[in-house]
Amino acid sequence: MTDLLQLTFSGIATGSIYALAALGFTLLWQASGTINFAQGEFVMLPAFAMLFFAAQGAPLPVAFVLTIAVAVAVLGWAFKRGVVDPLFRHGMMAIVVATIGLSIAMRNGVRIYSADAHPFPSLFADKLLRVGGVTVSLADAGTLAFALVLVVATQAFLARTLTGRAMQAVAQNTESAAVLGINVPLMILYTFAINAVLACAAALLVTPVYFGKFDMGESLGTKAFFAAVIGGFNNSRGALLGGVIVGIGENLAAAYISPAYKDAVALALFMVVILFKPQGLLGRKEERKV
Amino acid sequence: MHAAAPAIEFRDVVAGYGEFMILNNLSLAARRGAITLLIGPNGAGKSTVLKTLFGLLKPRQGRVLLDGADVTGAAPKDLLAHGIAFVPQGRNLFPQLTVWQNLELGGITLGRRLTHARIPAVLELFPRVRERLHAQASALSGGEQKQLEIGRALLLQPKVLLIDEPSIGLSPLVVADVFRLLRRLAGEGTTVLMVEQNVKSALKVSDDAIALESGRLVLHKPAGELLADPHIERLFLGSAAAV
Repeated sequence: MTDLLQLTFSGIATGSIYALAALGFTLLWQASGTINFAQGEFVMLPAFAMLFFAAQGAPLPVAFVLTIAVAVAVLGWAFKRGVVDPLFRHGMMAIVVATIGLSIAMRNGVRIYSADAHPFPSLFADKLLRVGGVTVSLADAGTLAFALVLVVATQAFLARTLTGRAMQAVAQNTESAAVLGINVPLMILYTFAINAVLACAAALLVTPVYFGKFDMGESLGTKAFFAAVIGGFNNSRGALLGGVIVGIGENLAAAYISPAYKDAVALALFMVVILFKPQGLLGRKEERKV
Repeated sequence: MHAAAPAIEFRDVVAGYGEFMILNNLSLAARRGAITLLIGPNGAGKSTVLKTLFGLLKPRQGRVLLDGADVTGAAPKDLLAHGIAFVPQGRNLFPQLTVWQNLELGGITLGRRLTHARIPAVLELFPRVRERLHAQASALSGGEQKQLEIGRALLLQPKVLLIDEPSIGLSPLVVADVFRLLRRLAGEGTTVLMVEQNVKSALKVSDDAIALESGRLVLHKPAGELLADPHIERLFLGSAAAV
């Protein structure tokens, strides 16, 4: 029982990282109808940016802040202007293909820079905590807390601020938003910027575990995509739920079935959801004009 | 603002989608403080007039004037500042946001303080909507949703209100309420330009009627005269005349 609780807790911590990346998927989808298949590489690139700034002598928090500034410019503004905007009128498939291409380009671009796995400092000390008879690592507890704070803050921003509601309005009915004088392109840009910030946070949390490597985003991006679909692509809370389900499922499968099946769990859950509840656990059915 | 100028004026406007022009050298004018009804068969360009006027469609040629000021090609945000509001056809709410949040976004160009100050007056007009202030917009009936859409536009206290097919999907009682409200707004000085398939009912509350055909003006006369003219009725109202 103790093992189960520990595995579950650790799974929730891992899942919260998937949730951050999955949240980016849902935000971009809702605000701009974009599916970004380079989402994993959007986590990998900030990891290398932080390593770069750290190598210049910047402490980790400073490197993180600098990376956010660069990521908002590159993964937010430049990505929107350079990839999404020109392709938007050609439909979803063009964007999907472009972001798959972008992910390959980013991965191999970084590979040219370095194909090694780079150790990455952790935000949290290497300690164990005992909570009610269950031993959890401080890293897991800290990761979970940090990710939860970010997800809750993002939700609060979207739900409680006028700008956040305007972003939701754009996502729900773009034409009506424009009719009311909401600055639609700016709201969409904000969404891309938030996605970039979330990617930086995910990089900060995941890289100490997986190391900074050119292909670290491949698996993360795929699992985040599955998590977003499982939770509901049009529901930000669904991203959190999907991430946690995938994280726990992976951990339990690795412990009780075989570590070899760990990565298959997300795919299996994804397939079940697609078959029986294609809108996701918390998602709603929607129609889109084509 | 030029006192003698019409509230709305199109001068030889050409507008459309892609290569396909809907409005073909259209010239028309609408009086200040009057309800002007746009009628005509499907594809005549009625909704296109509203979209062009509100800046959602840029004219290829011609000029659009508001109170005598040239607003040709102006963006919707600038036109809102000019005092023009638009209630498009169909469902225009943000379904996952509450009634209050929808209203608040209706005044996003005003600033939060002014919006909050104006919301109570708008809710006075729509008691059913006021009762459901914290419900999700999607939970409202069709009539309540249309009332909320109109209320959202009224937050701007527009000088000109463009409204496209306000009766679609509404019960006759709700339609009568909406038309009464439009009449009241016109009485208070708001210029209303309306597109409505429910032509007979709409003509009864309108001051003027403009008939379009293939993107051109074919008739402009008082609504009462048009309503009484069986020949015109047959020409432009078709089956809608039975409504």
